[in-house]
Amino acid sequence: MSDKLHQNLAIIGHVDHGKSTLVGRLLYETGSVPEHVIEQHKEEAEEKGKGGFEFAYVMDNLAEERERGVTIDIAHQEFDTDEYNFTIVDCPGHRDFVKNMITGASQADNAVLVVAADDGVAPQTREHVFLARTLGINELIIGVNKMDLVDYEEGKYEEVKDEVTDLLNQVRFDTENASFIPISAFEGDNIAEASDNTGWYSGDTLLEALNDLPEVEPPTDAPLRLPIQDVYTISGIGTVPVGRIETGTMEPGNNVSFQPSDVGGEVKTVEMHHEEVPSAGPGDNVGFNVRGIGKDDIRRGDVCGPADDPPSVAETFQAQLVVMQHPSVITSGYTPVFHAHTAQVACTIESIDQKLDPSTGEVAEENPDFIQSGDAAIVTVRPQKPLSLEPSGEIPELGSFAVRDMGQTIAAGKVLEVNER
Amino acid sequence: MGKVAANMKIMPHSPEIDLDELQERLEASLPEGAQINGFERDDVAFGLVALLPTVIVADDAGGTEVVEDAFAEVEGVESVAVEDVGRI
Repeated sequence: MSDKLHQNLAIIGHVDHGKSTLVGRLLYETGSVPEHVIEQHKEEAEEKGKGGFEFAYVMDNLAEERERGVTIDIAHQEFDTDEYNFTIVDCPGHRDFVKNMITGASQADNAVLVVAADDGVAPQTREHVFLARTLGINELIIGVNKMDLVDYEEGKYEEVKDEVTDLLNQVRFDTENASFIPISAFEGDNIAEASDNTGWYSGDTLLEALNDLPEVEPPTDAPLRLPIQDVYTISGIGTVPVGRIETGTMEPGNNVSFQPSDVGGEVKTVEMHHEEVPSAGPGDNVGFNVRGIGKDDIRRGDVCGPADDPPSVAETFQAQLVVMQHPSVITSGYTPVFHAHTAQVACTIESIDQKLDPSTGEVAEENPDFIQSGDAAIVTVRPQKPLSLEPSGEIPELGSFAVRDMGQTIAAGKVLEVNER
Repeated sequence: MGKVAANMKIMPHSPEIDLDELQERLEASLPEGAQINGFERDDVAFGLVALLPTVIVADDAGGTEVVEDAFAEVEGVESVAVEDVGRI
């Protein structure tokens, strides 16, 4: 573990655009390939009388090596730049994993979007960009990859850059916070060192751009928001809610409120890893007990917050969503299940307020009759049971959701405004 | 298509549940196509211990829902959550 500032970095993009190769290349160039992979390579190289440590070997063995491991960190790999310690999350391509990305524990701070120069914007490019936007990714670095396959042509790079810029505008991603770099993850161009193959490009290499990312502030300034995962009765202790703190801090003595169950009390003890702690913060998995709260007073899906700044409960809420897949069309009255933090609640899309133009991000149609796969829209939603949510502009950790129906993730979105109960 | 590792978190019904037995029941319930790489345990609070299996599924298999549903049905399981997913 290094003492550098930490960032979670998502690698996103369409399948076969070179995400895994880029992950391998970043580990290789920063000397972060696991020691045992290098050792194994040395042994094999000596047997065959070959020298040097080759990138191709890393790619062949990394995935296999990780699959053999049993550690909990199997889904994550780390590397350092001068400023930061990065944990890489190589995002799955399939849209049904979107729910996991939204309700998961480690949300990415920034992302590298990989777009193949010979293919341009593809369906998952679009979905991942929207997901990045929904998950509150601050900065996007776009690696226009596989430049070697288009003979390092500047025209091809500019073409893809324009295409991606259109896409970013469409999801209202501030293009000021996006930077483009022509790369080849396979050949190593513009990853650690400026490439001679792209003389027309004078910007940062990928590692320089990563090192220049702004610092990430943990969300300790926001009010406490702790979605309840489970509620237990522990003998000798009483009612113990368990969950992961998303924002803010919790300390014994705090007066807290559980919403939408609408009960509250004083926190007596907070435990983490079976030890009593004086304070717990974002990312901590805690169990705690609260004076006067019974097991049946609160439930999974409740959010715990300060009594004087309680979690919002939506009578209705307005949201921006993107339809990722739906066999027909979505009209007002449609009632799928919304997954937000630990809550799963059937919600009716009461009205479709605006459809957004895919090429400009401007409003294309007011009050459209329907939306379908690929559409981005602003909708008003009415939960069928009380649901605690926050506007993503205020508390992004509690402001995103996945929409599921028929065993599939059909849409993802973020809350714009909550009309409280 | 590659494979995806999901770090899952299984909370038992109570601190009294035998975790070794629960682990065996989870392994037995695993749907076809999915694979458990290993289990870790996490001390949560007040005697509660979470089981943390790392489950491997195919990227094109369409998410972790089938595994989540199977685990949720296992005796002694209070809740199932997916903490992290990533390609391997």
